[in-house]
This record gives sequence, C-alpha cells and structure tokens, in this order.
Amino acid sequence: MIRQTMFAVALAAVTPAIAQDQMNDLQIAHTAYTAGQLDIRYAHLALAISENDAVRAFAETMIRDHTAVNESAVALITELNVTPEDNDLSRALVEGAAAKRAEFMALSGNDFDCAYAANELGYHQVVNQTVEGKFIPWATVEPLKALLSDALVTFKVHEGHAEEMVAGLQCAS
Amino acid sequence: MRVLSDATRRRFGLLMGAGLVAPLVVRKAAAHDGPHMIEAGIEGFAFVPDRLEIRAGDTVRWTNHDIAPHTATDKAGGWDTGRIAKGESAEVTFEAPGAYTVFCRYHPNMVAEIVVEAT
Repeated sequence: MIRQTMFAVALAAVTPAIAQDQMNDLQIAHTAYTAGQLDIRYAHLALAISENDAVRAFAETMIRDHTAVNESAVALITELNVTPEDNDLSRALVEGAAAKRAEFMALSGNDFDCAYAANELGYHQVVNQTVEGKFIPWATVEPLKALLSDALVTFKVHEGHAEEMVAGLQCAS
Repeated sequence: MRVLSDATRRRFGLLMGAGLVAPLVVRKAAAHDGPHMIEAGIEGFAFVPDRLEIRAGDTVRWTNHDIAPHTATDKAGGWDTGRIAKGESAEVTFEAPGAYTVFCRYHPNMVAEIVVEAT
C-alpha cells in the first residue's frame, strides 16, 4: 500500500499542472485523449512482455475500453467541429510515459508484471482524481462533461481491477 | 439457445424503430401468453436487472449504455452475445428451462442470473 501510494505521488509529480492551472475544454479533451492513448501503449507493451494471464487480461481490457472511450471522444470532437489543444499537461504526460516505458522495457517476468500493475493502479488513481476533481468541474460544454462523466465510470472500474491485479501478484514490498 | 446474428439485430432494430414490435416488449410475462421480448440493460458496469425470471421461448435483449463494450455470456459456455458496443443491443432466446449465470467476458465481475421456467 505504501509503495502504491508513493508511486501515485511520484506520478502526480510528473503532472504539476493538474492542481494548478485551470484548463479550457479543448485542452481537457486533448489531455483526456492523450492519457487514454498512453494507457493503450502501456497495455500493448504488457502484451508483448508479460506471460501472466491476469496481467494480459487486464491489458486487453485497457486496450478495448480506452479505445472505445477515445472513439467516443473523436466522435464528439468531429460533431462539434473543434480541434483539441495540446498543452503542458499533455506534454508532461507524454514525456513521463516515455520514461516509464523505457523502464518497463528493461524488465521481464514478475518484475515487469509488478511494475506494470503498480503503474496502472497509480495512473488510474491520478487520472480519476483529475477527471473527477478538475476536468468535469472545469468543462463548460455539456457533451464533454457528459463524456468525461461516463468515462470516469469506466476508469473507476479499471482502478478497482488494477487493485485486484496488484493484490494477486507476488511483489516485493 | 439461439443468439441472434448482427443482421438479425439490425433488422430487429429497424422494426423497433418503426414501432412494429413494441407491443412485444415487456419486463416479465405474468402468464404464458406466448414468447416475449424482455428488455434488459447494461449500465455502470452492471446488468440491469441482475436477475430475470422468464419463460422458455422468451428472448432477452440487452442494450449497452456504457462507453465500454460488454458481452452477455453464459458462464456454462452455452451461448455468448459477442461484443455489444455502446448503444447497441444483442438478444438471446432461451428455449430450455434452467438457471443461467450471465457474465461479461471483458469485465468478469459483472454477473446476473436468469431463471427460465417451463411454459
């Protein structure tokens, strides 16, 4: 638990803009989409490296669900005829994820599974706190607010699954 | 057990849109007055309702209201709707009496029970 919490704090440290600068709708849309795409990339890495059935099943779920959420986001963006706006938080997420993937690629077996599982738990904790506490209150366009609310339901289930995945692995404390 | 094809699902959707089969839609048959279409939902990562009591020959139609795709799958392996995307529906006709545990293959924590009574 301590390790998970520390990881979440570390992940949050990569994204200092979360708690500070209010974002507009186009920035929120960009960051939410980016966060989903990054989790899909983590999942593809997990499928390439892990041989653990639970980890692989979780990764497949992340690809399936985040793809569905992002397809809904693209549909909304198309409907509204707007262009999401890149921003500091999106860039920080991309940079942080690149570094994390580099760490993962040096791992294998149980070490990888534990690192991936802990990252997924921390990632979803931070994302959920941000979506619920910041993005939804900040969003001014009702369809975006509705999409984020629907997505949050999915992400919270993912967080619960990640907790189960972490608990099911034999990881060093 | 009969799982309707995508084409059948689409045809059914068209019929529903035209209101031609609306009288068939009921929650539960109080008496056996012929096969019924039972409307059920998938929402908030749960089957709604999570227990159905139906008659042999009835069809359950699940509509997914979540962004994430789901399935309605027989835990015993007898049938599987396949992927149900947001806003889509899938149907299973229950011809044999018995108790069925339904789960989502993508999110196995989602479960429901269907009890099929003889006509």
